[in-house]
Amino acid sequence: MKKRILFALAISGLCLSASAQKVQFTEFDLDNGLHVILHQDKTAPVVAVSVMYHVGSKDEDTTRTGFAHFFEHLLFEGSKNIKRGEFMKLVSSNGGQNNANTSQDRTFYYEVFPSNQLELGLWLESERMLQPVINEVGVKTQNEVVKEEKRLRIDNSPYGKFTEKIFAHLFDGHPYRWQPIGSMAHLDAAKLDEFIAFNKKYYVPNNAVLTIAGDLDIEKTKGLVKQYFAEVPKGAPVVRKEYKLPEIKKEIIDTAYDANIQIPAIFAAYRVPGMKSRESKVLGMISSILSGGGSSRLSTKMVDEKKTALQVAAFNYSLEDYGAYITLALPNKNTPLNDLLKDIDEEVLRLQTDLISESDYKKLQNQFENSYVSANSRMLGVAENLANGYTFHNKDTDDINKELSIIQSITREEIRAVAKQYLNKNQRVVLYYLPKK
Amino acid sequence: MKKIFIIAAISLLAQGISAQTIDRSQKPKPGPAPVITIGDPVIYKLANGITVLVVENHKLPKVSASYSIDAGPITEGAKAGVVSLMGSMLNEGTTTKTKAQFDEAVDQLGADVNAGAYGGTASALTRYFEPAFMLMAESIRQPAFPAASFEKIKSQTITGLKSNEKSAKAISGRVVNALVYGKNHPNGEFQTETSINGITLDDVKSAYKKYVTPSRGYLTFVGDIKPEAAKALAEKAFGDWKGAALTLPVLAKVSNPTKTEVDVVNVSNAVQSEITVTNLLDLPLSSPDYFAVLLANQILGGGSESRLFMNLREKHGFTYGAYASTGSGRFQSKFSATAAVRNEKVDSAVVEFLKEINTIRTVKVSAEELQNAKNLYNGSFALGLENPARTAGFASSILINNLPKDFYRTYLQKLNAVTIDDVLRVAKKYFNYDNTRVIVVGKTEAFVPGLTKAGFTVNTFDSYASPIKK
Repeated sequence: MKKRILFALAISGLCLSASAQKVQFTEFDLDNGLHVILHQDKTAPVVAVSVMYHVGSKDEDTTRTGFAHFFEHLLFEGSKNIKRGEFMKLVSSNGGQNNANTSQDRTFYYEVFPSNQLELGLWLESERMLQPVINEVGVKTQNEVVKEEKRLRIDNSPYGKFTEKIFAHLFDGHPYRWQPIGSMAHLDAAKLDEFIAFNKKYYVPNNAVLTIAGDLDIEKTKGLVKQYFAEVPKGAPVVRKEYKLPEIKKEIIDTAYDANIQIPAIFAAYRVPGMKSRESKVLGMISSILSGGGSSRLSTKMVDEKKTALQVAAFNYSLEDYGAYITLALPNKNTPLNDLLKDIDEEVLRLQTDLISESDYKKLQNQFENSYVSANSRMLGVAENLANGYTFHNKDTDDINKELSIIQSITREEIRAVAKQYLNKNQRVVLYYLPKK
Repeated sequence: MKKIFIIAAISLLAQGISAQTIDRSQKPKPGPAPVITIGDPVIYKLANGITVLVVENHKLPKVSASYSIDAGPITEGAKAGVVSLMGSMLNEGTTTKTKAQFDEAVDQLGADVNAGAYGGTASALTRYFEPAFMLMAESIRQPAFPAASFEKIKSQTITGLKSNEKSAKAISGRVVNALVYGKNHPNGEFQTETSINGITLDDVKSAYKKYVTPSRGYLTFVGDIKPEAAKALAEKAFGDWKGAALTLPVLAKVSNPTKTEVDVVNVSNAVQSEITVTNLLDLPLSSPDYFAVLLANQILGGGSESRLFMNLREKHGFTYGAYASTGSGRFQSKFSATAAVRNEKVDSAVVEFLKEINTIRTVKVSAEELQNAKNLYNGSFALGLENPARTAGFASSILINNLPKDFYRTYLQKLNAVTIDDVLRVAKKYFNYDNTRVIVVGKTEAFVPGLTKAGFTVNTFDSYASPIKK
């Protein structure tokens, strides 16, 4: 809530999840369709309570963009039993922390409490699901707040507009073409009953996963979950539209201007398969080869040897239906952007042509194992990773325990093949990102 | 070996257990308070003065280490930026490895290793920890300082400075400290293209000799490692290291303005302006006021339930967030209340900021507000224990700040003893109202007329904190 994250910046390319030890969990469904996942860990007196709603900006109407993110705000306004402005106070005054964030695909609400406040977390989240108050006052206030958020994160933020520009081309014909922050004009035009209808459609138990992780008793918690959530009425089944975008066959070139910057940047972005796919994991490994760590290929060549770049990066912005594979560079001194692009392209071509060495492959595996072990050190992280597995990997919560073995099964040949299939010039968007005079 | 101390449970949150049927109209009662335990790290001292702290935690097959040099604030003067350049140069290769070889060695282990002017960090899977740790030590002890790297780092630093030239946030960060502490104070000075250009490789080498040393050094291990093994590694990597002796600098006290002033910097491209209301204070952790100040700050602006947030965001929608923070420690630090506000609402926001500060100084907070703030601290203390490094942080804080050994074990006890009168007293003492600074960095034409109309005298500065004559 304090620092709500507008979109999950999967910028590292290493968004792995799971520890070396198997993450144990119990899961079940309530009659209203709510999927519940419990994970017990008594190391610290902490419990994380979270609800992941499978709704994001891709579920919005083309004339009402920004709704999902707007709801992230709106559902803090209170419920039948929680007065306006009390939600956050109830969390902090009972020793907890909370926040929420919205991506193109899902909205994630959570509280982390000392473990004796588990029931308070369940009450808060069940009130939010059962009987949120959605009224003019809340809509009006949050409308202003969201506009400030847009100014802060996008309009006033250096390089804040690159995803917007790139996604508009890369996902033309798909709701990913707009950003979760949406259009302020759409939000201004929306009527109260439209907000209420959106809530009825998506914020229902059969479109949500309740994940609780930490210092808890499994059997007791099962009972409490039923007490608090069983009475929430089931919603109509959520039907998601399927999109099949035509291939990009010719390089798209665009220019963006940003008044907040002095140093230009160059981006090249490719449309790639979504997060469920094996290719998505291969692309994560490719990111590591290109820009993960000091010895990565782009950093070594462009930052250290040629000294032409201030910064280089390659990452897979992985989403449910598709991903955007993005490479970028900021020039050092006044290196022309096209020189930077040429150097990046050479390295991509090398990946498409030569197998990476055995030693590079071993390095990759060690890097992934290291981040994999660290990914589940906190209860909130465990909760989110478990919920991700169920929401985005064909209801397979155990995905959390499979990621590392998938990485280990990916061969050098596969890395080359994926680079060859998806990272071609005629399939991409090149964005020149320039200072606005 | 590892003593566990049980300290007061989160008593304020402790009540009965849950009932069978639920009454939704009432917030559920908490369960019995969890017992909070703080383990003591194992502490060793090396002959060269390095303090070694070890927190054993075998939950994950991973070990992290950090070396931290307690040099205090460093005054750089005309060479502003030299310490940071020197820190960067520690990652540019060693006497036995080029940068490329060094980076390759680290990445082969899948490890994270970094060095800087104030120490370094290494973390790796348990089976790769020793070589990763030795690499960290190598970068700290045997940097090569290659000339080509130095030119690279300088040009990157200058490009980096340029990249922030139009950022209201970056300018505000620089100007606020320069105005509050003065440009000759280590916290107020800043790097510029000129100062960076003036730094030579010899300057960097002499800064290294002076500041990177075993003196006042703390080496912390956290994770899947036995204390004896950690100690042996510490000896192996740092046992024979010698270096200059450090003493903490003594800094002249800086005064606050005698009368509240409004200082503005124009950033014409800004869509939001950065507002900071700030004054200097002295608050060592050993001060009897310390816990009352934590709570006063929390009530005023510690979070999204605090007064500033509720007023400036939830009531007025001026901003995405408004917060207050109060520094503490051995040196002077800042109280500041901040928000990024849309240009048109800056004048109204400044009035609300000052109003809230004045209120907490003059009107007693309610018992409920104080209790809520205490509950928040009690809770976050418990939540903090999820991070095993927290225990090591407590131990080194006790050593660095010269605190009683039970400072953190009795932390909540002291916090929970704070009264409403204590909060009022410390708010008046530490949060200035008549003698504070309001610094606004943003599109001045949108708010200066409003501020003038509201009766403020407005001083104008450039983005390097030099006054501009009207």
